[in-house]
Parts: sequence; structure tokens; C-alpha cells
Amino acid sequence: MSEESSRPPGQTRAIAPFATRATSRTRVEGRGTVTEYLAFRLGTDAFGAPVAMIREILKPPPMTHVPRAPRHVLGIVSVRGLVVTVFDLRRLMRLAEPPLTSRARILLVGNNEETLGLMVDEVLEVHRLPEGDIERASVVVGSDVSEAVSGIARPREDRDEVLVLLDLRVLLR
Amino acid sequence: MSDVIDRAREEFFAEAQEIIEGLGRDVLGLDDARKRGSQDPELVNDVFRAVHTLKGLAALFGALRLAALTHELEEILDELRLGRRPLDDRALNLLFQATDICGRLLQAERDGDESPFPELTEFLATLRGDVAKGVASGSGVAPFDLDPGVLAVLTEYEEHRLRTNVESGLSLYRLRVRFELTTIDESLERLKSNAKPYGEIITYLPTGGGDDIDRIELDILLASKESLEVLVDVLGSVGADIEPVPRVGGKRPSQRPRPRVAPAPVALSRATSHPGPLGAPPELSRSASLRSVSQTVRVDIRKLDLLMNVVGELGIVRSGLERLDERLRLGGSLREIRADLVRLERSFERHLEAMQQGILEVRMVPLGQVFERLARVARQLSREADKDVHLVVTGAETEVDKLIVEELSDPLMHMMRNAIDHGIETSSERLAVGKPEVGTIALNAFQKGNHVVIELEDDGRGIDTEKLVMAALARGAIGADEVRSTSRKDILNLIFLPGVSTRKDVTEVSGRGVGMDIVKTNIGRLGGIIDIQSELGIGTKLSVTLPITLAIIRALVVEVAGRSFAIPLTNVQEAVVMPAGGVHVIDDRETISLRGSTLRIARLATLFDLRTPDEAAPAREYVVVAEAGQNRLGLVVDRLIGGQDVVIKAFGPSLRNVRGFAGAADLGDQRLGLVVDTLALLDEMSAGRARSAQDTSPRV
Repeated sequence: MSEESSRPPGQTRAIAPFATRATSRTRVEGRGTVTEYLAFRLGTDAFGAPVAMIREILKPPPMTHVPRAPRHVLGIVSVRGLVVTVFDLRRLMRLAEPPLTSRARILLVGNNEETLGLMVDEVLEVHRLPEGDIERASVVVGSDVSEAVSGIARPREDRDEVLVLLDLRVLLR
Repeated sequence: MSDVIDRAREEFFAEAQEIIEGLGRDVLGLDDARKRGSQDPELVNDVFRAVHTLKGLAALFGALRLAALTHELEEILDELRLGRRPLDDRALNLLFQATDICGRLLQAERDGDESPFPELTEFLATLRGDVAKGVASGSGVAPFDLDPGVLAVLTEYEEHRLRTNVESGLSLYRLRVRFELTTIDESLERLKSNAKPYGEIITYLPTGGGDDIDRIELDILLASKESLEVLVDVLGSVGADIEPVPRVGGKRPSQRPRPRVAPAPVALSRATSHPGPLGAPPELSRSASLRSVSQTVRVDIRKLDLLMNVVGELGIVRSGLERLDERLRLGGSLREIRADLVRLERSFERHLEAMQQGILEVRMVPLGQVFERLARVARQLSREADKDVHLVVTGAETEVDKLIVEELSDPLMHMMRNAIDHGIETSSERLAVGKPEVGTIALNAFQKGNHVVIELEDDGRGIDTEKLVMAALARGAIGADEVRSTSRKDILNLIFLPGVSTRKDVTEVSGRGVGMDIVKTNIGRLGGIIDIQSELGIGTKLSVTLPITLAIIRALVVEVAGRSFAIPLTNVQEAVVMPAGGVHVIDDRETISLRGSTLRIARLATLFDLRTPDEAAPAREYVVVAEAGQNRLGLVVDRLIGGQDVVIKAFGPSLRNVRGFAGAADLGDQRLGLVVDTLALLDEMSAGRARSAQDTSPRV
């Protein structure tokens, strides 16, 4: 019944250490429900999205550009015979767009109608964040995407790193 | 010939069996729901429809006893459906018993057993007694502050549902939603499924409001026990604007709703007792019942056996390859091995082709299934509209891909509705102009090459082009200066423009065209085209031309700016080398002459913005000549790669608004290739005539 077991094998290396956990949500005394977030890099900043939302992480297959598509669409790829539209998450978030490197990955996420691909510059790691450690974001990024920011977290106490948590459902609406 | 009859009979048994089984399940469902103290009006409708279909089938195949039983049953179910009689134990028992008898009658029919069936006679007597006792319902008007215009357009069934919901103390909400015309089908389905757990949708009415020609605004009446907050929460995401409809004597309204629930004057002035002229979206949504719910295709086992054989043959090819590999390893003669490899490849190709053909055949179903449903709708509509209509059907045995058949139901149903509501005159009008009293609607289907043509022809009043032009002018759909240069055919085609066709002024004067734009969109989505012919006073003919299958198509693969595109061969006439220096610019449009006639051309590189301005096109280009209906267009490409069978895969909803592509296909080099939607491009090019140049740029 775990999220992990329903994921197809392979291509999920970044999250593999957690695959043995029965659930991606557990309770930590006093600090609220713990949710697992996948951290990834867009441009120079680190972002996070709930692991439960992400079905698969892909190395970008050959992409086909679609003329006349909206600007945030990078193109389409074939994932096991299914045509998947790939969005440029950086463009959706109005961030700088340095050229993609070999570390670039596509996160497959399902909104209620279709499976979409989200291109990110790099997949970092998985953080387990208790609810109490997540600050509510007021305005972090551009005003029109700020709605998609569900919170801010500092995953390491020893370092001054900021993780911007995204609500993919709002972003892909 | 007897073979055909046998096959048809076999199909009858299979279908009847399926229906009776479904019937059993549904009656059980009704029983369950009743035990839980609720009821599911949709389910009653399902049972009603199932029995109705069964009746038609039985009569068609001379299963008279089954026909008699279902005929009586239908009466009872109609009473139940309209709430004229309660769904109580007695009714349920009758239904259970009936299902059982239906099953046994079918078995007897199959065995050719014609011995008397005392149980049936007895049961029929009970049923008849019951129908006679049927309780008529009072026609109390709902105690809600509903505009009389709205009440007037509710069907008897909708009124009954409204009454029932009100009686059970539910609140009534009005949802105002704007839909994109192009995506209304999906959006409405989504809304319905979101709303289903929270209440019952009573009806949909177009408001006639909103000036955007690409959208339509609907008012949806929803009965629900939930509070406004809950509904806003659930349905807000689809962009619905929700207001409670206050009860008369109003205790409820906490906020003052807009004064009217109201279809705009359009609907009001035309309010009648049947839902006909309400406009396209409600028709399409209501007619959802016309589609068969099942995603399954019934397949003759012999077709599957053939496929199985092919698979066996392919297995032989595989072991042949294995032997070759073995011989290679053992150092056999390369020459011989090569010769055998070529032989194997040929055999492989042949079997693959057979398999493709076999699978296509499996997907094919006769149009008769849809036609039968259409005939039923026609009968019902003509009764509602109080017009005498004689329906003549030919070509019901024409086979089309299952997918296409399903998608066709709604547009065809819409065309039928238009023909009856607006095409055919009343008996007195007909007699006055010297036509036969009974109107005729012909529904014809036939195969034409790789296409299937479906025609719907009526001998009604036809379209008054003069008034159509006036209306289109008033809408700004065409300019005054264009009128004289517009051909009669183009004028008739104005009926397909949104904003012209959905407006009252046109539908009244032309007597047709409600929602024809949606019909055209739906047919276009299937890769088909629709043509219209009409003579004032004589009648109207709509022809729909469709590809036989969508699944696998033969395509011409071309290259433009280093990218591969597939152009479906169905619309391709030929491909020629672009004549050197032969481009003439006429009226801002590029043309070439091809064997003495002028051909308009469009450069794919420009159309799809594939080259930066400083990138030059190759010295030698090719022109792919595409044709649909009367339109011809030359698509200019860099290189022709060759013919290939491709499987078209649709884009996801995120790219649905991208025009010009039918989808993507695996062209064999890992990367997906785009399949050009020739019809859309042809349309785009000819639409450019009526619009300004900027308008043709993609709207995304």
C-alpha cells in the first residue's frame, strides 16, 4: 500500500533509500506530521515537492519540440509508449534558465487528467520534514506563482540552506 | 445471404444476452439503493433504456414474445422514470420477475422452442393490470424562485426530478460556468463527475450571456443537501460561480442572487415544452446516454482465430531467425544466409500486414448500432415536436472503427435534432406548400475509398441564405465588402461559425444551425469533414466524411528544418518538386501553378515557426498537395523521407489547444514525430480569408 511499492522499478534511484519505509508520512513527537519532500534544483535555488506527488524520475529521453505550444512546454517525450508533455519548471516559476546539463532530470507527476513531465536542473535528495519546521511562505517568488509555494523549510540545522516547497497541484492547475 | 442473416442473428443473441445481464445487475442496484433508503434516478433511466433497446432488437428479429414483454415493461418503467408511480417492493418484484422471464424467453428463442409459455401470459396480465392502476402525479410547481422561462423549458422528466429533490428537502443551487467551446465535452464531464457525489444535476441551460464567441456560458441547476460552502469548495476549482436559488417565501437566501436564473431572452422567447431548441451544450450533454458506455468491442471468434494463426506464423519466422543465427555462428555461407534472411523478412512483413489488417477488423463495428439509437431519438423527437417524420435508413451495415462510432453519436444526434426541430415543417405548413404531409429524413452511409460518408438529408424548409448573410453581417462574422465575393457554398458554411450559429437571430431565420459549430469541431477531431447543401423550401443535406479508422494510418514522412513530420496520406493527393522560381504572390497569398491550375501553398517552416529569419530554406523543396472537400493546399517541405504506417497517439490535455497537429507518432528514431493535422491546416488557411492575418496566429 506504500507509495513506493506502487512506483515502477528503476529510475527511482534518488529516492531509493526510503523505499523500504512503509509510508512517507510518520509522526515525530511534538513537531507534527512528517512529510517526505524531494529536493531539486532549479537554476541556483533548491525547491522541494512531496515525494508522494512524484511517480518517477527520468533521465531526459530525446525530446520533440511542439510548435505553437505554450511557452512553458519544452516538448513531448515517449514514456513506455505514452506521450508525455514536459514542462519547463523554471519557466513556470519565472526563474533564470541556464542551459540544461547532464544532471537534468524529468519528474513525472500526475495531475488528475494526465501525466506530466517537469524538467528540473538536478535532483538533490529527499528530506523528511515535520510540519512544525515548515514556515508558511507569504511572498517568496514572483507574485503570480507565489500561490504555488506552500512553505519554506531549512532542512539542515547546521547550514543556512533554504528549501522552497512547491504545491505542484496549484502549479499545474 | 443466409450467412449474413445467421451472423446478424448471432449478434442479436449476443447483444440481447448482454442487455439482459446488465438489466439484472441494474435491478439489483435499484433494490440495494432502495434498501439503503436512497434512489438513483440514473439507474432507473438505464433500465428504461436497456428495456427499450431490447424491445427494438426483439421486434427486429421476430422474437415476438420478448418484444411483447419488453413493450409492457417499458410502460411501467416510463411511469417509474417520470415519478408517476413509486419504486416500491411491488415494482421491484415485477422487474426481477421480468428480467428472469426475458432470459428464459431468449433461451427458448435460441433453441427454436416455440411451445407456449404460460408464465409469460400470466405475467403480462399482471403487468397490464398494474399499468392501468398507474397513479398520475400532481404537477405541483417547485417552491423555488425560478424564472418561469426556466420552468417552461424543463422536460417532464427534469420537472419530476426537480420536484422529487425539493420534496426530499434538498436545496437548489445555480451554477454559472463558462466553457471553452472546444473543450466543453470534457469540461462538462468533469464538472458532472465532481458534482455527482454531492447532488443531482437537474438541467443545463445556456445563458446566452458572454460576448466571447469561443466560450459559452451555462446555468446548471443542482439539487444538493450540502451547504453553499461545501459546494464552492468542491466545484470552485472548475470555475463555477455558485449561488443558492431561494425558496419562494424565502427563508433561505442569505445573499441576494441575481434576479433571474434565466436563460437570456434567446431561450425565453423560444421556450417550448421540449428541450430541442435550447442550444448545443445541453443537447450534447444530455445525449451522453446515446453513447454506449462500454469500451468493449464484441468480436467474432473467427477473427480472433485468424489473428492467433498469424501469431503462430510469426513464431515460425522467429525460429527461422534463430536458425540463421546458429548458422552464422557455425560459419555458414554468408550468401546463403543473406538470401534466407531476405526470405524471412518478406514473410515477416506479410504476417505483420495480416496482423495489422486483422486488428483493424476487430476494431470495426457496423454503424447500425448508432443508427438504431438515432432512429429511436428521431421517433421520440418527432413525437415531442408533434411532427410526422418518416426515417429512411440505408447502409447501416457500413463498418467503422469503434472509436469513431462512439464519438459520432453526439454529432449525429445533434444533426438529427436540428433536422426535426428546424428542418421539417409542421404538417399544415407542408400541406400549404404542396409537400407530402409526412416529412422524410434520409440517413445514408456508404464507403468511399478509405472513407465513410454519412449523409443526413431532410425535405424540410431549407436554409435561407439571405437571412443567414444578414445575421452573419450583424455578428461581424463576415465583412460587408465580402458578401458579394462569397460563394453560396461559403455562405452556407457560415452556419458552422460559432457565434453565428448559436445565436437566436440566425437560428430563427435560418431555421437551423444550433450548435453546428460544436458538431463541426467534434467531427473535425475525428479527422472528418462536414459539408452542407441546402435549397430554400426543398431541404437540407449534411454529409460527414470520416476516415475508416484512426488507429493506424499510412503517412508520408517529411523533413522540415531538420525535424520529421508525418502527413496522413488520406488527404494527400501527390507530392511534387517545388517548381523553381514558380511562386506567385496573389493577394498576399503564395501560389504555384501545378499542371495549369493555381495551387495555394503554405510553408510548414513558416507555419510552425521552425526557422530563424537568417536560416535559408534548402535550394530544392517539395510540395505535398493536400485536399479536403473543395479545398486544396500545397504544404512546402524540405525533404520527402517516405511512406510509413504510423500509430497516432493523441496529445495530453495540456496540449489540446495546439492546432495543426493530430498527435504524435513513433517514427522509428526514438524521438516522437508530430503528425500534421492536414484538415486543420486547410481550415486555418481558408479561415484566413474571413479573418485578419494576425488572427490566424495560434492562440495559446
